[in-house]
Amino acid sequence: MNGPLFRHSVRMQRVKLIVVSTALAIWGFLLPVIYAKFGSQVRAVFDTGLFPAEFAEFGGGDLFSLAGSVAFGLIHPIAIILTSVFSVGYAASAVAGERQRGTLEVALSRPVSRRVFYLTLLVANFCFVAINVGSLLAGSVAGSAFAGVIDQLQLRNVPLLWLNAILLFGSFAAVGLAASVSFDRLPPALGVTLGYVVLMYFLDVLGSLWPDARFLQPYSLFHYLQAKSVLTGTFAAFDAAILTGVIAAAMGWALYVFPRRDLGAPG
Amino acid sequence: MHAITTTGLTKHYGPIRALDALDITVREGEIFGFLGPNGAGKSTTIRLLLGFLRPTSGEGRVLGLDSVLDSVAIRARIGYLPGGVALYDSLTGEEILDYLGELSGRPPVRRAELCDRLELSPQTLRRLVRDYSRGMRQKIGIVQALQHEPELAILDEPSEGLDPLMQRAFYDILDVLKNEGRTIFFSSHVLSEVERVCDRVAIVRRGRLVAVEEIAALLARRMRKVDMRLAGTPPRLEDVPGVLNITIADGRLTCQVEGDIRPFLAAIVDAPIVDLTIEPAHLEDAFLELYKEADR
Repeated sequence: MNGPLFRHSVRMQRVKLIVVSTALAIWGFLLPVIYAKFGSQVRAVFDTGLFPAEFAEFGGGDLFSLAGSVAFGLIHPIAIILTSVFSVGYAASAVAGERQRGTLEVALSRPVSRRVFYLTLLVANFCFVAINVGSLLAGSVAGSAFAGVIDQLQLRNVPLLWLNAILLFGSFAAVGLAASVSFDRLPPALGVTLGYVVLMYFLDVLGSLWPDARFLQPYSLFHYLQAKSVLTGTFAAFDAAILTGVIAAAMGWALYVFPRRDLGAPG
Repeated sequence: MHAITTTGLTKHYGPIRALDALDITVREGEIFGFLGPNGAGKSTTIRLLLGFLRPTSGEGRVLGLDSVLDSVAIRARIGYLPGGVALYDSLTGEEILDYLGELSGRPPVRRAELCDRLELSPQTLRRLVRDYSRGMRQKIGIVQALQHEPELAILDEPSEGLDPLMQRAFYDILDVLKNEGRTIFFSSHVLSEVERVCDRVAIVRRGRLVAVEEIAALLARRMRKVDMRLAGTPPRLEDVPGVLNITIADGRLTCQVEGDIRPFLAAIVDAPIVDLTIEPAHLEDAFLELYKEADR
């Protein structure tokens, strides 16, 4: 871990971090309010059988319970896009982007090993993800209080959900950073990371909406964030272990590849 | 101890030989020019020395340390200016110097002096780099490479983008560093500045070392171009040592003179010369001569 590099990373991202975290907090705030206001009506609509039952539990979330609405907020495309600013965008550009711009060369001419450089960026990325997810959940708690339904939320489980969500989005960040250290230019690193996250999301959503495709869900990392279950008191250590395993594998790749690869002159 | 030693340093990218068995030694306290056209292998050599690239074969040692195994320790003791230095556009010059100074782990004891010499005022340093001209970016690049008083400075095309006044200020900085006994590895394709600042020069072409010479020795081998107008019989120069390529036409004699000029001057002392021009020899000519030899 390199202090100056970490501080530099935070300084370079601080405005983006504030904007994204604020947006996530607002998004997180809205879901419990929508649940409190329209939850029973939405349930009534689904009870008519107008929509397939699978639609009622999109990605493991729903709008009929507070826990479900918080889970829905976490898995909704808006949250995915916002968290992807750091778990995909920052991760993919952290090394490949600097390399493409030529700024990596100046930084790496200092006495910083590539392993320390990578690990510092990974820690910074996890911090950004943690702040993002924390903002969303803080918004949800605030929204629940605002809507007068906070008593339905088991607050002691929120930190567990925070941890589980950090592991999920952190795993995307780890994959993104592994791609970033593997390429000399940003587009391939970004393409690989974005493609990976979109594929994961597609598998999970497809499995949740189409019963015949349910077997695909375990192949998606989103499957290992069962937010509603965690909030209602069922934290699956296995899910955390899977996500930790993916992070460890991505780190192993990056720590093996980055110190060994040639860094030619920026194109 | 030598500041830099390379032994058979080679870098191949598949069939492309970016650098082929480079053997050079840079002495401590000298300004060592590393000369060659674009694509000759200069930047590849520097990147190998800094540990950015792994050699295909051979080894490089910097300040006695192995360029692959000890690259972090090497980078703690050097200053590096990359060719066409890239900086963070969203930071001010001062923020960049602070950040890179912190990463170096050594206090920027020389920053004020360098900024003063390169006319980087505090107001300029407080502006965003995106508003800087190319020359100002290069100045920041020079300061970041030297502000922490490195034992060895590796400078890749350092005067690129500097106006003539600033080039002179930069050469003065190099003189100061040299007088302090610091070593400078000076990569350039600008012959005149290598001639101006360096003690010795290595010339590379197509990844191969063409020559390593003292600048003075290289210049002594140079060809001077002589052009004289005559009012009568031309002097006999065929047997004068060092005189080559004699042509006589329409009362005009041109030739080239290599090495000691005194035999030539003695031979023309009684000639009916109306006008005489002896073009000073440039490193460029010696450089081109070496390239021709390498091609043969």
